[in-house]
Amino acid sequence: MKRFEWIIFGLLVTFLVIGIVSIYTASSTKVADDFLFNNYYIKQFIWIIISMLILFFLLKTPNAVIDLSIFPIYTITILLLIWVLFLPEIKGSHRWINLGIVNFQPSEFAKLFTILTISKLISKPLLSDGQILLRAFTVTIVPVILILLEPDLGTALTFLVILFSILIVSDLPKFYLILIVSPILSITFSFSIWIFIIYALLLIYFLYRSNLDKVIIGFVVALNTFIFFITPIFWNSLKDYQQNRILTFINPMRDPFGAGYQIIQSKIAIGSGGLFGKGFLMGTQKNMNFLPEHHTDFIFSVIGEEFGFFGCTFILLLYFLFLYKIAKSIRKIKRKEYRFVSVGILAYLTFQIFINIGMNLGIVPTTGIPLPFLSYGGSNLLINVTAIGFILKYLNERSIFA
Amino acid sequence: MYKKYTISDYMKYVIIFIFFILFFFVFKLQVIEGEKYKNIAEKNVVRIQTIYPTRGEIYDCKYRPIARNKPSYNLYITPGKIVDRENVAKFVSKYFKKDIGEIEKIIYENRYRSYQDILLIQNIPFKKMVTTSEQLNYFPSLLFKAEKLREYSFANHFTGYTGRITEDEYKKLGKEGYSINSNIGKTGLEKYYENILRGINGQQVLQVDASGNNLEFFKHNLQAAPQNGADLILTINNDLQKYVSSIFPKNHKGSIVVMDIKTGGIIAYVSKPDFDPNIFTGGISAKQWNDIITDPNKPLLDRIIHGTYPPGSVYKPILASLGLEEKAIDTKTKLTNCEGGMWFGNRYFKCWLEKGHGRLAVEDAIKYSCDVYFYDLSTRFSLEQLNRYTKQNYISTRTGIDIPGERRGFFPSRKWYIDNYGKYVGILGHKVNLAIGQGEILVTPLQICAYYSALGNDGIWKQPHLLDKKIEAEETYKNNVEEKKLPISETTLKLIQSSLYKTVNESYGTGTAASINGIKVYGKTGSAENHMGKETHSWFSGYAKCDKFEIGFDVFVENGGHGGSVSAPIARKLINYYYGIVE
Repeated sequence: MKRFEWIIFGLLVTFLVIGIVSIYTASSTKVADDFLFNNYYIKQFIWIIISMLILFFLLKTPNAVIDLSIFPIYTITILLLIWVLFLPEIKGSHRWINLGIVNFQPSEFAKLFTILTISKLISKPLLSDGQILLRAFTVTIVPVILILLEPDLGTALTFLVILFSILIVSDLPKFYLILIVSPILSITFSFSIWIFIIYALLLIYFLYRSNLDKVIIGFVVALNTFIFFITPIFWNSLKDYQQNRILTFINPMRDPFGAGYQIIQSKIAIGSGGLFGKGFLMGTQKNMNFLPEHHTDFIFSVIGEEFGFFGCTFILLLYFLFLYKIAKSIRKIKRKEYRFVSVGILAYLTFQIFINIGMNLGIVPTTGIPLPFLSYGGSNLLINVTAIGFILKYLNERSIFA
Repeated sequence: MYKKYTISDYMKYVIIFIFFILFFFVFKLQVIEGEKYKNIAEKNVVRIQTIYPTRGEIYDCKYRPIARNKPSYNLYITPGKIVDRENVAKFVSKYFKKDIGEIEKIIYENRYRSYQDILLIQNIPFKKMVTTSEQLNYFPSLLFKAEKLREYSFANHFTGYTGRITEDEYKKLGKEGYSINSNIGKTGLEKYYENILRGINGQQVLQVDASGNNLEFFKHNLQAAPQNGADLILTINNDLQKYVSSIFPKNHKGSIVVMDIKTGGIIAYVSKPDFDPNIFTGGISAKQWNDIITDPNKPLLDRIIHGTYPPGSVYKPILASLGLEEKAIDTKTKLTNCEGGMWFGNRYFKCWLEKGHGRLAVEDAIKYSCDVYFYDLSTRFSLEQLNRYTKQNYISTRTGIDIPGERRGFFPSRKWYIDNYGKYVGILGHKVNLAIGQGEILVTPLQICAYYSALGNDGIWKQPHLLDKKIEAEETYKNNVEEKKLPISETTLKLIQSSLYKTVNESYGTGTAASINGIKVYGKTGSAENHMGKETHSWFSGYAKCDKFEIGFDVFVENGGHGGSVSAPIARKLINYYYGIVE
């Protein structure tokens, strides 16, 4: 265990401890304390133990076994994602499989196994650019479509971040990333014809300078033209409430009774924490029950209220050290596949931390993305810890492949 | 050669950038604007309050109340303010006679709803509230609220009742604007028209202390007024409803339905024994609930649409009309001589009249309700033909009445016999039984009433319904229902009608007990054998026409005896009474 990354592991444990404390202060009520084993922080503690056991189990498992199980588990995850669509709604969407005591979220597992599968497929030697693109896109698009059907826009976006991050470090010329970036920009700009024309001219100039294959250029042009025409048609075909939902996603203040209200309350909670915070268990805003999610998606606002600017800075610093340390260590991993996996994991953790804290601060749209390691939630915790387990494992074994 | 960026470099810069942004906004919110938000948090408590609409009320055709809202005092608990859980539960249990386990359960289910008021006890008498008010000082978590409670004018099966939303219903419906304390339609019209009756929630933003500090977020006046639920005007006539309920034979089970044959609107809807829906609205105790569901007479059962029974002879006109439509018989065809029964293979099927009816044509066969005639007639059709034609007359199919949970009834098919008896033997016997409305056939009293009403309405079948119109925001909307044509020709219809008339108005007809001077009463009796008791189910169904009204009716008494002697006189009474009250 000489090469074991104690710093990364130590930070992980620190997060989990902070998580338990935050969940306790966010969710404990006097009455609920009478019923000990039904409390969120107790449940989270049990999940932490399970996650840790899996982490140690993972570190001891031979790589060959893991290699063999990646495709089957990916396939099972996809099947679960299909199955979950046919289950009754829980809290308004088809995200969870109800297992009695806990709800299990297959899209969480899909994230990790999509990363593993893409990395495995595109790290094979002697692949052409086309093959890499085709493999990466196919593996990503299936879960993305299924998750969009749930519907869970936030998690679906996470997959695009994963795809983007892995492709950027792959052997693929960077110009290919226009394939991911340009459609998103096209959708955004297609609502205004003049902006779209400027954007189109820039895109064409960029493609002209890019030395890309003519077929790819043709494809990009065709794809973006198609998107330009189809987006308004699609938009108009949506029902009013569907349009409203999307507009509210982009600008929560449109819905001051719903999403906007949550953001306002979150900002009040964090802002009123001031420099030093109101102290452990002393938060007043969480008691207003402005939303039932303060132990999950809005845990950062509870921390902000009770521990203030210093508390928030401390948390941000810990996350920064954690991610920075992983980013720095990745180059030590010699095997290409493992490096891709690590980058994918790092990217999605960074994305989730940014989106969640940003949402709490009211600077990014509200999505159902929890704060890694701190928010209450079993499947999410399990997958995040397992993901760190993979990175620890690769770093641990790096000498073998050096 | 320029330096090639490594993976780590890309990631590092992105991470630095992201955390810089987050740090900047944390700094802005907590250090730069910290004082401002502290003020907001301390001085102004911004809360969204839902304003619940008033539930629509239900009236009869003359705008007399059937279901109304009356003021009621309710006891609430705020879980976050509970000091000593056990003591609170004990206190409530002692003073308001509620099981301590139920109270503990409510507290447990709402343990995370710290600052919401949770309904504990409904409908507390005013006096009780005054006398316990002082005690409440010792329990800061308890409070009284004056609210509205449903009140029903009389025992019945069609309004259904409202009750407090259950934890499961709340999980399913919470996002549709129900609160954990909402009352929701559980059965009957209350359930069927829940979405119309409940109205639309309003909302307002409350600033608990609005002195001085203006809230930037809510500059514009945020208030959405609630829209009260629509009032329902039914086709029911309260006078007839109450009268019919009062003349139903004491200590008997059964049902009476009366409907307007032109519209399908139901004027009286009585199922016996009945129950008082008011016992459910204020929260029913476990014992009361237990008493009601274990009552062997099943008072909760709506026999008009949830009960299915063999129709007996009231089924015969359907077979007669099939015979005439398919030209198996004409008006003059006389079938087998009735000598009190008839042999089929080695089984003897009896006619109800032991001495026999002799040889009859169709009109007399209906009038005297001769079984042998219909035994013989049934042999000319296949089982599938009978099945199809029965259902085409909307018997053994759902009528689509606006009350939830209507049952279909049953008519056997060839497949059903094979599935249940292994093979398709002895079918003649089954078919012969079905011919007189016995055997496996099951119908609801409502189906029979709708069929006879259609016979009286030139063969136009109107969907039975109770809602005449709804009044929403002072606009009136008429309830339009489906109408269908029965598969019966003009001439056949005339013949069936005249048979039904003769049944009631000619001597020796089976339904003469229902005849009234000055009103044309048409009807058919039925006495259906059944496994529920020794006596036959007593049916009398038909329609009555006069200058004032045209109504269809069905009188059904479970194990009441003969249709002609038990049900027909009841029909006569109710028609007479209705003639007296209707303008």
